[in-house]
Amino acid sequence: MQLNRKEIGSYKVALGYIGVLTMITGGIMLLPLFVILGFPDELGHVQNFIIPAALAFLTGFLLSLFIRGEKKQQLTLRQDTVIVVAVWLLAAFFSSMPFMLSKQLNFTQAFFEAVSGWTTTGLSVVDVTVTPKIYLMFRSIMQFFGGVGLVLVMLSALSGTYGMRLYNAEGHSDKLLPNLVKSARVIMSIYAGYVVAGTILYVIFGMSLFDAINHSIAALSTGGFSTQVDSIGAYKSLPIELITIILMLLGTTNFAAHLVLISGKFRSFIKIGEIRFMLLLLGLAIPIMAFVSLNGIYGSAAQGLRISAFQIVSALSTTGFSTVGFNNWLPLPIFLIVILMLIGGGAGSTAGGIKLYRIYLMVKAFLWNLRRKFLPEHLVNEDVVYRPEGKLFIEEKHISEASNYAFIYMVMLFLGVGVMLANGYSLQDSLFEFASSLGTVGLSIGITLPSTPPIVLWTQIVGMLFGRLEIYVIFIAGIKIFKDARNRIALAIKK
Amino acid sequence: MKKNNYNYIIVAGCSRFGANIASMLSLQGKDVVVLDNDSRSFRKLSPGYSGFTNIADATDIDELTRAGIEKADVVVAATNDDNTNIMIAQIASKIFNVPKVVSRLYDTEKEIVYQDFNIQIIYPSRLSMNEFEKLILTDDMEVLK
Repeated sequence: MQLNRKEIGSYKVALGYIGVLTMITGGIMLLPLFVILGFPDELGHVQNFIIPAALAFLTGFLLSLFIRGEKKQQLTLRQDTVIVVAVWLLAAFFSSMPFMLSKQLNFTQAFFEAVSGWTTTGLSVVDVTVTPKIYLMFRSIMQFFGGVGLVLVMLSALSGTYGMRLYNAEGHSDKLLPNLVKSARVIMSIYAGYVVAGTILYVIFGMSLFDAINHSIAALSTGGFSTQVDSIGAYKSLPIELITIILMLLGTTNFAAHLVLISGKFRSFIKIGEIRFMLLLLGLAIPIMAFVSLNGIYGSAAQGLRISAFQIVSALSTTGFSTVGFNNWLPLPIFLIVILMLIGGGAGSTAGGIKLYRIYLMVKAFLWNLRRKFLPEHLVNEDVVYRPEGKLFIEEKHISEASNYAFIYMVMLFLGVGVMLANGYSLQDSLFEFASSLGTVGLSIGITLPSTPPIVLWTQIVGMLFGRLEIYVIFIAGIKIFKDARNRIALAIKK
Repeated sequence: MKKNNYNYIIVAGCSRFGANIASMLSLQGKDVVVLDNDSRSFRKLSPGYSGFTNIADATDIDELTRAGIEKADVVVAATNDDNTNIMIAQIASKIFNVPKVVSRLYDTEKEIVYQDFNIQIIYPSRLSMNEFEKLILTDDMEVLK
């Protein structure tokens, strides 16, 4: 009986935290209103943001009453994951409301757009040519905060007792400083600093201020929402493409690595295994794609190289900007892009995918295993991987976790592709589009359209959520809720 | 120095004592670094602990530098060995001039070693003795009643 009361108490705390985070969501939803300053003729859309924001704020406030007064309640094991998943779902739900209130999209499409924004995917069912600017800005703002994560936003503003557990549950793996609140603030300032720098560079090279802000946010958060139909390709400008490539690479780099880079330790930055692996992949993939397949389509080798560099970085960083369409591409470059989308960006960054670090670890483990076959059986050696915070001695546990994740990732991929195939899309298109959803990339081969059947959109929504929150977290949260509910029902029946 | 305005704390040795101190300080929002040469001992830290956990020998000056002892405000020597604690405390206060050094010492006879150092000492055995005396004393009082 006492255990039972404790369990209810712990859910009170959980609901309270969900409330606080939902209030923050409400605050975030008011940010697009600043667009009115630049475009006063869009004043008519204001209520579409204020109503959902007020609803989110009110819901959050009511829930947060649960933790007012009583502080010392314990969160039970793994309840942190429940909080994180619930908060992300609520955030996506409230963010879908502006699109519905303005009658631009139905519920499925609006929710798709919101999830695509929060998970920094960038697949879109919105027609950017007719959509008012305030909604475009709202999409970018979702990506900005979705990139760093809601928990991190909360932590940088106010600290909580369970901050560390929530922080881990949201998939942040790194400690930049020996203090959580300070780490969160450092991450926020690195991130915001890059966004501002990116905006300035874009403006210098001829983008309008509004587009510059949107593209800078979308590149850094590896989101990929664009204000143009042809994405970055609309500008036909080499400097803008170069800036975008740099921003995307920055966005896909681990924040701890950024700290190493900013503090001027260039040598230890270049030593980080993940960074080396990323450079190696780019160095391999770009020339292969440029010379083997693209120069036939785009005329010259130089043009092929430019396009391939941009697309490869966009895919690997899971951003999803594009300079060209994929319709006339041959299967080989499509295949390369799919592989890179599956690998994805750096751990502890804003990117998705299996993550470079896990792939790197598995490649290394394979090489170590090979080497071990030629060495004496009783040899004692230590396998080391360089991480931003220093050397990490690799144990069996690390490798099995990484390969486990990769396995379940592939299973999710095949399930999603299966659903798409059942709806009549070709294997190549399905594979591309779902790899893009699951990796929160946002490159589209043409499946994601306003006319797409709802079941396909929902499959992609699930894929995007799994991709952003890292598959385990959603599983753990689901199992936790199921178990607790079952226990409650069993107790109720006993009485 | 009435208020606790120390912010960077290094705890050497992730014993029960060290782990609890580290968890408490970390939850209060301080920067905490715990050193221990056995990765398994970090299990004792509370799940809310957000500081660094370095697997290192805390008597190694290089490791202490890496943990940031130069900017540390407090060093707690909390390993389960008196001699190690003495050494860590002396390194911290002599070489690095850490303003506040706290050490745990089981063996009260060794307190002479700490003379002339600016080191605060916690004697678990003496504390237990005091507590014991208090318990006995209250028992006596109850008997007298």
